[in-house]
Amino acid sequence: MAAIDRRLVLHFDWTLFGLSLCLAAIGVVSVLSATYQGPHHALDPLVIHQLTWIAIGMLFMVGAVFFDYRVLGAYAYPLYAVTLGLLAAVAVAGHSTGGSRRWINLGVIHLEPSELAKLALVLVLVRYLREEPPKGGWRLQHMIVPGLLMAVPVGLVLKQPDLGTALTMVLITATLLFVGGLNWRTLTVLAMAAVLAAPVAWHYMKPYQRERLVSFLDPHSDPLGSGYHIIQSEIAIGSGGELGKGFLKGTQARLNFLPEQTTDFIFAVFAEEFGFAGSMLLMGLYVLVIARGVWVARHARDRFGALLAGGITAMVFWQVAINMGMATGMLPVVGIPLPLVSYGGSSLIAMMAAMGVLISINTRRYLF
Amino acid sequence: MNIAYQKRRMRIGMLTLLLAALFLIAIARLIILVAFDGPRLTSMAASEHSGEVQLAAVRGPIIDRNGEPLALSVETSSVYARPHELIASSTPDERAHLAAALGITPAELDRRLHHAAPFVWLARHLPLEQAQQAEAVGLDGVGDLTEYKRFYPESNLAASVVGKAGLDGQGLSGVELAYDRLIRGEPVKLRVYHDALGHPILDSPLSLKNSEPGARVELTIDGGIQSLAESRLAEEVAESGARAGSAIVLDPWSGEVLAMANVNAHGDSANDRLHNAAIQDAFEPGSTMKGLLASIALQDGVVDINRRIWCEDGRFHFGRFTIHDDSPHGWLALPDIIEVSSNIGAAKIALSLGTDRYYQGLRAFSIGERTGIDLPGEAFGLLRKESTWRQIDLANHGFGQGIAITPIQLAVAYAAIANGGMIVRPYVVKAIYSPDGAPILVHTPQMMRRALTPAIAHQMNLLLRNVVNGAEGTARRAKVDGFIVAGKTGTAQMVNPATGAYFQNRLVASFVGFLPADDPRLVILVVLYDVGHGHFGGLVAAPVFSAIASGAVRELGIAAPRPAGYESASIIPIDVLKHAESMVARDAVAAEIADDAAVPAGSNSSTLPDFAGLSLREALALAHQRALNLDVKGSGWVVAQDPPPGAPAGPDTVKLTLADDPGAATPSHPSSKSSAKRVRHARRGTR
Repeated sequence: MAAIDRRLVLHFDWTLFGLSLCLAAIGVVSVLSATYQGPHHALDPLVIHQLTWIAIGMLFMVGAVFFDYRVLGAYAYPLYAVTLGLLAAVAVAGHSTGGSRRWINLGVIHLEPSELAKLALVLVLVRYLREEPPKGGWRLQHMIVPGLLMAVPVGLVLKQPDLGTALTMVLITATLLFVGGLNWRTLTVLAMAAVLAAPVAWHYMKPYQRERLVSFLDPHSDPLGSGYHIIQSEIAIGSGGELGKGFLKGTQARLNFLPEQTTDFIFAVFAEEFGFAGSMLLMGLYVLVIARGVWVARHARDRFGALLAGGITAMVFWQVAINMGMATGMLPVVGIPLPLVSYGGSSLIAMMAAMGVLISINTRRYLF
Repeated sequence: MNIAYQKRRMRIGMLTLLLAALFLIAIARLIILVAFDGPRLTSMAASEHSGEVQLAAVRGPIIDRNGEPLALSVETSSVYARPHELIASSTPDERAHLAAALGITPAELDRRLHHAAPFVWLARHLPLEQAQQAEAVGLDGVGDLTEYKRFYPESNLAASVVGKAGLDGQGLSGVELAYDRLIRGEPVKLRVYHDALGHPILDSPLSLKNSEPGARVELTIDGGIQSLAESRLAEEVAESGARAGSAIVLDPWSGEVLAMANVNAHGDSANDRLHNAAIQDAFEPGSTMKGLLASIALQDGVVDINRRIWCEDGRFHFGRFTIHDDSPHGWLALPDIIEVSSNIGAAKIALSLGTDRYYQGLRAFSIGERTGIDLPGEAFGLLRKESTWRQIDLANHGFGQGIAITPIQLAVAYAAIANGGMIVRPYVVKAIYSPDGAPILVHTPQMMRRALTPAIAHQMNLLLRNVVNGAEGTARRAKVDGFIVAGKTGTAQMVNPATGAYFQNRLVASFVGFLPADDPRLVILVVLYDVGHGHFGGLVAAPVFSAIASGAVRELGIAAPRPAGYESASIIPIDVLKHAESMVARDAVAAEIADDAAVPAGSNSSTLPDFAGLSLREALALAHQRALNLDVKGSGWVVAQDPPPGAPAGPDTVKLTLADDPGAATPSHPSSKSSAKRVRHARRGTR
């Protein structure tokens, strides 16, 4: 590990690396747009922060490449335990914003442990599933441990409350179980259980979460209240048109009509200024990242690598899907960052590290 | 291993299909948003983030007829705050500092900042230096904007005429309201983006100076006469214990209002700018109505100058009513009835006129309708429908009970007596000029209708002189040194609004008159509302008239026609009036002239009239009606005219040469400089 293998450089996955940087660049551009106040105003500190975090994230990404991902299996449970500890710390001493506690104030950075928890969950599940399933696939009794591994962080995240991250964790777990070889019948049973659980979930939801679900069904029923986010986002995207209003010419995002414009709704900021063409470019980049991730998963040398690549890809995919679905008004508003684009140190660094792991898996195909 | 590997790859493949499907759905959704909902969403965006901001222009000044400013706009600074930002970024000490700079208490500042609004005014219309001090405190969330504040340099002079402009530069009353659209100018309309909190996003600070300033309004009001009227009226209000008083000085020929004063006893000037009693409040005129009654009766022919009327020795039993005179009289002729102001005589004249003819006569005087003065909120007064008049009403209306009129209506009615019978439309705005000095609007005199023939008007003119100059006249205190004054007093009981009956000891005292009686230049009305018992119009209102009239003739340079001390000369014995036909015949010329004037001002004949053979006075009257400037040389009668009669009338001065011997003069070409002064000078010289 200390000595750099020549093949590491030779087989370095420039595609994923380049795609990640492109997405991060789009993120910087969008954060700049969202915070732009006019030519007479200084650059918003958010842009500087974002650039800083990209730099740190790149260190993690490149560092991960030189790190043998198979070692990660050994670190899976300790990492998982640390993450749970952080989540628990949030619940006790978290920094609350907008009615929810998601951050731990570490002085220089507000750490958002739920972003790390997604990665840790992927790791721990892959660690558990790395054994080949029995003939016919994993059965219900095998699901107890992964179920618990998922349930603890999901429960803690829901407590914050952060519906989006919890949903992502559930979807990542489902994806991994499916790819990991879940028995078809078990799958059917679980799916039915999920449908039956919906009313129960409804019962335990916070009032604002219910409101969001209702307003998602009909955002115009309360355009200034809970439907406001969706309508504003639709307005920004729709008014952008085919080619957009132009860089720094957006009005909805910049003039504060669009809420959470640097984080959850950053897609609308980009779509407003660069239009449908820009949206297609952004979506194309994600398609390439995910396709590459799928390709890595399929071509990984070992089951651990394949599942890890699949889990990371699933993590990226579900976040993109939920975020874009939310921004375009197809899904209820559940706060979730757009991977590599949204403003935020924790999610950016975690995501870049994950990309580094993906590159590592792909690069190391040739090392064994 | 291999099977599991295959299976895993297959499952990954299946998942990939799902992912692809979801991506396709997302793309489809984007297409829907952009292509189908795009136009709707775009217009929603536009309505959300852009709007029009109007930056008020500088209001135009209002000046009096001599150019003295009565209303100006001065540049001030208004300080605003974004409460949230300010509170978050400052300490209580710093805010106390800010409050001190703004001249308010810290508690008051906190109270204003307590609003949830994203924007609050902290102080408006501060002097620029004070706003700079507030700025110098250097707190975030505080800013200032340039605004214009209405400033009335003459304080409350002509306040009720000038009116008031609001904090945001909009006219609220008076001329400020009536001509608001011209005074307010053209505001700058800016298309601005504003953020979700409604703050306009301006890339660079904009000065209001970019807007088109408002027009300059020149009033007919003469500041000197106005000031005199206000101060003299205020004195009398205080002295007589009246609740309020109004005075009007009107040019009977043109309808120009030279002064319009409203004064109240409490000195609560807050209302001064919002209320104009002289046009908005009606009162029962009392005996001043007898002047109109006599005019109508003479015009009708139901009475003549000589017919004597039995005045019942002061008590007239009429059905179950009794009409009283202040002092008992026996047989009186019309001039005596006016002079001593006999209610019984007036009631009997009204009764012999009959409801129909008296009502029509009052309507001819524009009683019961607005005079059309160019100020907002003019009242109609109260003239009941003739069909509802009982005989006792008719009798009462004869001496001004049961009819309510506004001061301006009364002044206009007496102006008709003064000017030979024409009802003029009064106005307070002489002209309006754009900021670059071009006239936008110039008022010309407007004759509404003829109320009296010139002959009757002249008879009334003579009769009304006796009220002031006669031995028993009720308004001997209205005399003006060196001038003959004609007019009429009025003392009316006020109606108790609760019972509908008259107060015994609450009166409205008035005097309306004009001077010089031989060539009336000014109609002056003085009304004192709610004076106590014994405060007759002749006692309290007539002296105010006298004071205002004395000052006004000085101010306007109206020369006394006769040496001072000649006042008793115009007491006219009744039988002498019969020989007044020759004077009336002279006035026939004026009647023709006045008839010409009934043609709307805009349709003045476009050729010059023939001045030949006219006296100077007749020539001046004709020129006045045709809006011509004269340059006069010599004295006597007109013998030459340049340009000649029938020539197209232009803005140029018409040069007249006068001579005592019509054959003696030769055409001359006097220089045209300062012709107005020459005319005025000539007028003085002839008397």
